[in-house]
Amino acid sequence: MTSARPGAPREEDAAFRGVALEKVYHTGETSVHALRGVDLLIPRGEMLVLLGPSGSGKSTLLNIIGGLDRPTAGTLYYRDTELTALNDRDLTRFRRAEIGFIFQFYNLIPSLTAEENVRLVTDIAERPMDPAEALALVGLAERRHHYPAQLSGGEQQRVAVARAIAKRPGVLLCDEPTGALDSSTGVNVLQALERTHAELGTTVVIITHNVGIAAMAHRVFHFLDGRIARIEVNEAPIDPRAIHW
Amino acid sequence: MSALDLKLLRDLWRMRGQALAIALVLAAATATFVLSTGVHGSLTATRDAYYARNHFAEVFAGMTRAPRGVIARLAEIPGVRRVEGNIVQYATLDFPGRIEPVRALINSVDESGRDRLNLVTLSRGHMPRPGETSEVVIDETFAKANGLELGDQVAAQIYGRREMLKIVGMGLAPNYIYALAPGDLIPDDKRFGIFWMGRKGLEAVTDRREAINSVSLTLERGASEAEVVRKVDAVLAPYGGTGAYGREDHLSHAFLDSELKQLDAMTRVIPPIFLLVSTFLVYIVLGRMIRTERTQIGLIKAFGYSDWAIGWHYLKFALAIAVLAIVMGALAGIWMGRAMTRLYAEYYRFPFLYYILSPGVFMGAGGLAIGSAALGALGGVRAAMSLTPAVAMAPPPPPIYRTGRIERLGRMAGFTVIGHMIVRHIARWPGRSAITVLGVALSLGLLFATMQFIDASRTMIDQFFARGQHQDLTVTFTEPRNEDVVHALAQLPGVQRVETTRAIPVKLHYRNRSERTAIESADPDATLTARIDSSGAEIALPPSGLMLSRQLAGQLGVRAGDAVLVEQLGGRRTRSTQRIVTIVDEIVGARAYAGQATLERIARDAAPVGAALLKIDPAARERILTRLKGMPVVLGVTERDAALTKFEQLIRDNILTMIGFYVSFASAIAVGVVYNSARILFSERAHELATLRVLGYHRSEVGMVLLGELALLVLAAVPVGCVIGYWMAQLIMAMFSSDLFRLPFMPARASYGYATLIVLAAALGTALIVSRRVMALDMVRVLKARE
Repeated sequence: MTSARPGAPREEDAAFRGVALEKVYHTGETSVHALRGVDLLIPRGEMLVLLGPSGSGKSTLLNIIGGLDRPTAGTLYYRDTELTALNDRDLTRFRRAEIGFIFQFYNLIPSLTAEENVRLVTDIAERPMDPAEALALVGLAERRHHYPAQLSGGEQQRVAVARAIAKRPGVLLCDEPTGALDSSTGVNVLQALERTHAELGTTVVIITHNVGIAAMAHRVFHFLDGRIARIEVNEAPIDPRAIHW
Repeated sequence: MSALDLKLLRDLWRMRGQALAIALVLAAATATFVLSTGVHGSLTATRDAYYARNHFAEVFAGMTRAPRGVIARLAEIPGVRRVEGNIVQYATLDFPGRIEPVRALINSVDESGRDRLNLVTLSRGHMPRPGETSEVVIDETFAKANGLELGDQVAAQIYGRREMLKIVGMGLAPNYIYALAPGDLIPDDKRFGIFWMGRKGLEAVTDRREAINSVSLTLERGASEAEVVRKVDAVLAPYGGTGAYGREDHLSHAFLDSELKQLDAMTRVIPPIFLLVSTFLVYIVLGRMIRTERTQIGLIKAFGYSDWAIGWHYLKFALAIAVLAIVMGALAGIWMGRAMTRLYAEYYRFPFLYYILSPGVFMGAGGLAIGSAALGALGGVRAAMSLTPAVAMAPPPPPIYRTGRIERLGRMAGFTVIGHMIVRHIARWPGRSAITVLGVALSLGLLFATMQFIDASRTMIDQFFARGQHQDLTVTFTEPRNEDVVHALAQLPGVQRVETTRAIPVKLHYRNRSERTAIESADPDATLTARIDSSGAEIALPPSGLMLSRQLAGQLGVRAGDAVLVEQLGGRRTRSTQRIVTIVDEIVGARAYAGQATLERIARDAAPVGAALLKIDPAARERILTRLKGMPVVLGVTERDAALTKFEQLIRDNILTMIGFYVSFASAIAVGVVYNSARILFSERAHELATLRVLGYHRSEVGMVLLGELALLVLAAVPVGCVIGYWMAQLIMAMFSSDLFRLPFMPARASYGYATLIVLAAALGTALIVSRRVMALDMVRVLKARE
């Protein structure tokens, strides 16, 4: 394993470092405090799980560290870059270079085949894998000329994983990646994530409601009311194949 | 208000951009319909009221000279209700300080007010009184153009005599709604006027005591015009009768009639284009709306609403758009109708002009708008009605994409994945893509077709003036002259060249058809005039036999090689058989030509000069015009440059106003089609566009997916539009052509370019408005939602 060992994280090893992050959504006359002063340190090369009830702020945090959204207050660093200081164009560039996203609803382009969906990313990445290679990594080499409508849910999600990892991202951000899948299909996807993490040394952040998944992470952030209520360090992450739900 | 109606209102508000874009196109249909049928109806009503009120005659005839007693003989012809005879005489007017030639056509009127036909409507003053032989009434437009007032005196050269005429009244008459001087193409109010003078006065000046040279008749109901015309000709033959004719050959009536026909043609061609596009737009927008509201439809049905209630709900969406369009279109149509009617009033002299819009016009426009919206809604409404709640509430099956044949070519050509996305989306929705292409193409076609009026006019100017006429002055004479007059004109200092032309009025007979026309001729070695055919080539006069314009040949039903009977009207009234040697495509009118020798054989006289064409030294213009004015044999002088200026002004005023209307209308189609396509495209692809943004694509790159597809469709529409425009223009030109002139179809290549540029600009502007939504795309919200 090339990933860093869990323990007391050091700042210079951090993929993300956030100070007093706040996010307030104004909808009409009401304001929603999604994040209330979050300080965090996400070590490079770790697998991290964000747990917490709906509305506790974990998706907001994921969007902010992925450069999809900006905090209302606070500063956030990715390695040496202050993300909170970047303009829109540079944030796009950051996403393009460093971040791989995986969503609950796959978000594949229906008019593109599996391989072409991966090419969407490799076309604009600096040192991408071959799309076929990325699909082979998730076990879909045979299905690469199929359109999303011709693939099962699990297969579609694995295409999404292949699309996310094909650019060799520094960070993989997964929002409920198994939320729409049954247990055995979900395990396939988790294995793909674990393999990427292991082989590429990618930092992986997974949001889930599924407490079982936390067992495969090095570190678990428990969210409550817009804050990190508790951090749990897992000395011995288990193999995804041992997870059931 | 029911909850469903509230939903309807909010849907309309939410989709206001798209609804408005459709309404704009439908409003253009309503507006053009109200405009053309409104103006057509108004002009027809005005004309009919004017004809009835002022007793416009039904049969007309001219002759050299006849005793007044002939009137009683004509009145005895069965079927004739009333006959009036008068003197009609051209005169040249002399305005102090003005050297350009001014002509008047003087009509005699009964000083005791016994006239009942072609009555003058006075706007000011009174009719000439008995005993006051110098009193005249002049036409209003001429008075206005020349700043003449009641009480002013005008010096006139009538029949070789100089008379001072006193203006005592101003008015208009139904036989001069369109007043054209001989040799002119369009009315020139400053240089040509209509005068009415007491009978005794005009008889004295023209040496026609108790004589006339013109008659007008009205007919009994049910009488045969052809029969009366034949009998009138027989009675007038000994007096140099030039052939009786009905209203359809009456110059003023014929011009007005051709204008009305053009308006009618406009009604039949243009609104249907807008209606068709509107139907398409409603079809795609409502279809998309029903697809996105699938779940809601299922839910509402599950609550217990009937299929009909749902169908009616969506139909109302289309009807609401139609109602909005009818209001906008009717207002625009009324406004434009007023503008156009005012324009007509400048060229057609009516003492009053009704601008009336009958309820029928609005009902017709409304019916068409509602009908086309409803037709467009039909498909969507049927789909909404036939959805069962259980099916509707389940997510729709995912769209199936395929790798098509063009796709494989694309892959070989090294398409990016974005390219594949665009092409596959077009192929996935072929109907909608085709509608977008067709809509934009129709917009371009309409624009191109209307631009043909400019091209046609340019061609007319080029062929008629620039290439057809090289003379500076055309001199007409009181009667055909012999060669002496040519020598006299050539003697004038500054005259560089003199050529002669002649036209004799004839009636051509072929089988059971006959047409009144004139056979024209020119010097064999003429350099000042040329006859240009519609392909731009110069046509030589035939050494023997006749040459007919395609239009005249069509009216007579003759082909080259056929022989026609030529009956000379007036003169020696000869009858001879002539062979049609050639048929030519010409722009202006139904005309016939012959070589000088042929014409002399037909006329059998030694007075070959009908008009003289002069090429002059521009520096000597004033001197020459002054000398011509003093020559008793000269009836009038037409200046080529003045005619050209007048013609160009007509084009500027009339055609540019129309083009202005149609550029905005055609743009409305392009905007309506592109806006709706773009909005639908955006709503279908918002999810994919957001995904691309998340994956690290810049806004401009994402915008390309949206704009790229639109650009492909719009570009595909350009050649289609050019073809549609080509055919549409030919159709419109053919429908606009009348007995008087034929619009040449001579598209300038630049017109394709202009039409394309305007449509592309409208499309690009619209697409950019929609692409602003790409800028505001909320990535997070879109991705949280299931597709």
